[in-house]
Amino acid sequence: MSEQTAELAKGLSRREKLDRYLSLLGPMVMIAALLIFMALLEPARYFRVSNFDIILKDAALYMPMAMAMTLVITTRGIDLSIGSVAALTAIIMGYMVKSYGFPWWAGVSIAISLGALCGLINGLIITRLRVPDLIGTVAMDLVYRGLALVLAKGVVLSRFPEEIVAIGRGAIPGFLPIPVVIGLSTLVLGFFIYTRTRLGRYAIAIGSNPEAAELTGVPVNRYKVYVYVLMGAMAGLAGVMLAGKLNAIQATSAPFFNLHVIAAVVVGGTSLFGGRGSIVGSLAGVLLLAMMLNALVTLRIEFFWQSVASGVVIISSVAFYTWMQQKDRDGQGGFMEALASPENRRLGKFLLILAMIIGSLFLLGYMFAGDTTAVR
Amino acid sequence: MSPDSPPLIQMRGITKRFGGVTALEDVDLELNAGEVLAIVGDNGAGKSTLIKILTGVLRPTTGTIELNGQPLTMNSHSDAIEHGIDAVYQTLALADHLTPAANMFLGSELTRKFLGLEVLDNRRMREEAERTLQERLGVTLRSMDVSTDSLSGGQRQAIAIARAVYHSDLKVLVMDEPTAALGPRETARTLKLIEAVREQGLGVIVISHSLDDVFAISDRIQIMRRGRRADMVNTRDSDTTSVLGIMVGASAEQSSADGASAHE
Repeated sequence: MSEQTAELAKGLSRREKLDRYLSLLGPMVMIAALLIFMALLEPARYFRVSNFDIILKDAALYMPMAMAMTLVITTRGIDLSIGSVAALTAIIMGYMVKSYGFPWWAGVSIAISLGALCGLINGLIITRLRVPDLIGTVAMDLVYRGLALVLAKGVVLSRFPEEIVAIGRGAIPGFLPIPVVIGLSTLVLGFFIYTRTRLGRYAIAIGSNPEAAELTGVPVNRYKVYVYVLMGAMAGLAGVMLAGKLNAIQATSAPFFNLHVIAAVVVGGTSLFGGRGSIVGSLAGVLLLAMMLNALVTLRIEFFWQSVASGVVIISSVAFYTWMQQKDRDGQGGFMEALASPENRRLGKFLLILAMIIGSLFLLGYMFAGDTTAVR
Repeated sequence: MSPDSPPLIQMRGITKRFGGVTALEDVDLELNAGEVLAIVGDNGAGKSTLIKILTGVLRPTTGTIELNGQPLTMNSHSDAIEHGIDAVYQTLALADHLTPAANMFLGSELTRKFLGLEVLDNRRMREEAERTLQERLGVTLRSMDVSTDSLSGGQRQAIAIARAVYHSDLKVLVMDEPTAALGPRETARTLKLIEAVREQGLGVIVISHSLDDVFAISDRIQIMRRGRRADMVNTRDSDTTSVLGIMVGASAEQSSADGASAHE
């Protein structure tokens, strides 16, 4: 259990001690690497207090969702609908507050509760209708996004009450920005849930061995639903924070929430195969991701590369942790040796042939290319 | 045990039919406190069905179960646990990523009040787990903070047994193929664990395919064949060859009158 780092006992091998800190060590090393990289390329614009303020506020937006996603992934689940849940709940909040004159606190509470309801629906679809989580939440992503579009059409809701804006980008004078305080509080709550409550304990048990959990009397399906409800509520909170941060919301907001949050959580050492998770690691992952996305902006790289970067982070961290978890790495020889196995050689040849086909297709197309003005 | 006092468990005339298939036919079983009863038999002989009935997972079509002479009706496995009958499954039902203590208390966590909330009492669970493992099973782990998958087969077995015996009123422990996946050293350790449980006055039922283990640990052997009790022998008075013979039905003349030979 990576959360029990404080209780290191004597009887542990060095390898086990390392494993406990891996979820923190991984992102820390990557943060350090990123800092060195940016120090070489763009020190002046990256290392500014105002820039770190931006990074912290970006990270804060993802903290509540990362906390809940840590629990979801620990149960071997996944929720790909959180971006749409955030957009939908924020739009409903926007209408309630702006068109119907609801007080800000009612709007915020409604958004969070509706998020929880969306999570409940996700959970019931997964546990009662037995739709696999991946398919179920992707489908519900379409549903929630569609509902948001139906409600808002192309309208951008903006100029919210100052309290909602404060939630998104306000600051407590002499202290941290309000969203950062909110984000960190949810992580503290998450740490408490993970280590001190049945919900956290059962999430680990369900992800580790669902049959064992069932046999020992853990209400598996009920606790799975609870976890998705928490996820939905946190997505609703993130929707409020986003609306406040931008002081505007529209149906197409938050397109990459699910990708970013999953990237942050898995880079923080939570296993997509279930049973192993770390809230502290997720905090480190969220910070790393915010710093990385900010670095892309600082380097003036196009916005659309952000999703490429998140995808690469997910693949590389999952591959890395999977490799670390392998019990027997001794007999494998070096990296190059593994790469040169007969099986890989065959795949290599296949890759080569495919590349040649694509190359020649482009060549052919270029040779027969006509006048482009005719097409227009 | 005096002849007058009833056995700890007395199953009489247990028959179980699944649709048209008869899994068990008029099977008896007696288990005394402080003894290890082995149940052996070929695949499909009805061993699993019999213990599933004893542990409340299945209900018999006909037949009665008595606990200390009192008739017992169980509608679920949790009923059985309430009456002090629990089982350790072949898969052990352990969540590998949790600590030994978390596994031992999985589904029945100890809690305390914190700001009016019910929170897990991790320290007390850890102490109780360590104490139970040490005092009742003689097992000391090198650390209570490791995840369960880093433990040896015998230690994992110990945690699964500790989970069952922790409930102070446990009277009957059923073990399904406890040594099936273990090497010789871990098997020896597991047999020791079973002995420790027996010495505390519990009745233990062991289902096993390994006759070596059965002869090493049991006091009596109940041999099942084709859904019937083929025979019941005292381990001391028997040997592998004759038990094997009764199991496969090769020596029908040795089996008792109420055994499987009746319909042959």
